[in-house]
Amino acid sequence: MIGEDGPRPRIGLVLGDPAGIGAELAAKLLARTQTSALAVIKVIGDARQLAAGAKLAGVTLPAVDVDDRANADPAALPLGRVSAAGGRAALENFRRALGLARDAQLDAIVFTPFNKQALRLGGMTFDDELRFAADFLAFSGPHGEFNVLDRLWNARVTSHLPLAEVAKRLSVPRIVEAIALTDSAMRAAGFPAPRLAVAALNPHAGDGGNYGREEIEIIAPAVEAARTNGIDARGPYPADTVWLRARAGRFDGVVTMYHDQGQIAIKLLGFERGVTVLGGLPIPITTPAHGTAYDIAGQGVANDAALVRAFEIGVDMGRARCSAAMRD
Amino acid sequence: MAARVPVVALTSGEPAGIGPELCAQLARDALSVRVVLLGDATLVAQRSQATLPAYDRAAGPRAGMEVLHLPLAAPCIAGTVDPANAPYVLALLDRAIDGCLHGEFDAMVTAPIHKGVINDAGTAFTGHTEYLAERSRSAQVVMMLVGGGLRVALATTHLALADVPRAITRAGLRAVLQVIDRDLRMRFGIARPRILVAGLNPHGGEGGHLGREEIEVIAPALADARAVGIHAEGPLPADTLFVPQRLEGADCVLAMYHDQGLPVLKYASFGRGVNVTLGLPFVRTSVDHGTALDIAGRGRADAGSLREALQLAVELTQRTALAA
Repeated sequence: MIGEDGPRPRIGLVLGDPAGIGAELAAKLLARTQTSALAVIKVIGDARQLAAGAKLAGVTLPAVDVDDRANADPAALPLGRVSAAGGRAALENFRRALGLARDAQLDAIVFTPFNKQALRLGGMTFDDELRFAADFLAFSGPHGEFNVLDRLWNARVTSHLPLAEVAKRLSVPRIVEAIALTDSAMRAAGFPAPRLAVAALNPHAGDGGNYGREEIEIIAPAVEAARTNGIDARGPYPADTVWLRARAGRFDGVVTMYHDQGQIAIKLLGFERGVTVLGGLPIPITTPAHGTAYDIAGQGVANDAALVRAFEIGVDMGRARCSAAMRD
Repeated sequence: MAARVPVVALTSGEPAGIGPELCAQLARDALSVRVVLLGDATLVAQRSQATLPAYDRAAGPRAGMEVLHLPLAAPCIAGTVDPANAPYVLALLDRAIDGCLHGEFDAMVTAPIHKGVINDAGTAFTGHTEYLAERSRSAQVVMMLVGGGLRVALATTHLALADVPRAITRAGLRAVLQVIDRDLRMRFGIARPRILVAGLNPHGGEGGHLGREEIEVIAPALADARAVGIHAEGPLPADTLFVPQRLEGADCVLAMYHDQGLPVLKYASFGRGVNVTLGLPFVRTSVDHGTALDIAGRGRADAGSLREALQLAVELTQRTALAA
């Protein structure tokens, strides 16, 4: 498993929703010459679907290990349509990958986009794949979702929560935990000492307490506590300038207080290249931030930039993990 | 008939900040309008190493910058705010507002002020926007930022995030939309403004799962607005609203809170955004930055945003005149 740049991690490439652009993207990724040089890849999904994806992409697949689940016959599953069968297949592929990871046969999982509605129809009872994975792995430690754009990471302290609940949900321990989780996930992804910016909650960071006291009472103490723990965290910074600082290269990651504080900026900066990382779990999991793109499925025009980036991050995180395992 | 030269009042703002030097920098531009700089003439001369002619109201229409001298209340050191000069800062605003209300000026452009020092001096002061609304007896004003090809208006401005949901009401939003629609027509010359309205919650509340304000407040307010002929679309999830494809053909975005809209505008405008107050009986624009006390008096401040603010004020004045 030792490649030119150290060990080649074992990556499970999970085929997601079969009605979208996933198989086409997977084929494009596999056909890139550097892909197999970086990792030992196992495709988990229906082999016929992968072949159909290669045909759409107009690429010749290299020899690749396929764990053929024979669960999503392209002839029976039309592109561009939500189906329970599609959701079931995607879920089974994901479950299979998590099982292999649990049995220490994979170092990271990369999946092509899921369709949430199809997953629900296909039997998923969790709100999202993060909770599904944590439950499957029986993992209850700190874990969370990160958005990565190029080399800039974003984590959020609260996520899918009504805006009216956000301020009530903030606490020093919660923010300290989010900062620590971001720091450890980014170290696992190859940042030796990530420089983190912590966003404020209120406009102009509360303007010295004039519009909200959370910066003074909660966020600043949390940043201080994180720094005491050896994390290079700074802030709180006003939300309207924190992204300008990050874009200028002054930070590697931004910890935001609520969903849209990060999502608006990340999507504006480059939605098509964004990657979602599920971090903190026993195995790193990455996926493109974009969806199944039913509107362009079957046309062969899908852009694989985000999947390539998801794969690269999966390789970095998987390599750190398998290096650590080899040292043990 | 020769077109009348517009007269724009330019308030130089906090004397310890970068306002006076920024204003004086504009005097070196090839101005097409008459700009009346309100401030202490000696202070402006000190900060700019230039002497500007004194304002003479009776002089005929002429382009260029003149100083309307209003004296400082106390000596001023760049970078050091002094509550003793708070009445001076307010006097600049009052003079500009009076001139706008009485037809002496066509528009006002404001350099940054320091809210804290005005409050310290004993005058409750939330911001320019609120002060102008009160002094001009405007029932509903709206803060809008313009820059980088975007116009973003705010339903709420300077309040704690925890207080935002309560501050958004159906009647309030309807009034805000009416002001935006009217001013975009009257001052921006847009025949049928198309306004995109953001939701409040993540994913626009996701059908009520992540908050109900979209269903209970925002959507009904939009229905009210549409019933009176306003082209308002939404509520739209804020995180996908600002991507270029979505913004195509839109004239303005109405954001529900400060940090939903401003970061995008700052990003798109590269620090050259302009703040416009809608709903006043006159045109008012402003820079979108602060007093920058740390660099005041050194001649290093960038007048880009103020220059854009003046330019926009002139455009809006001319369009308003055409529409009248």
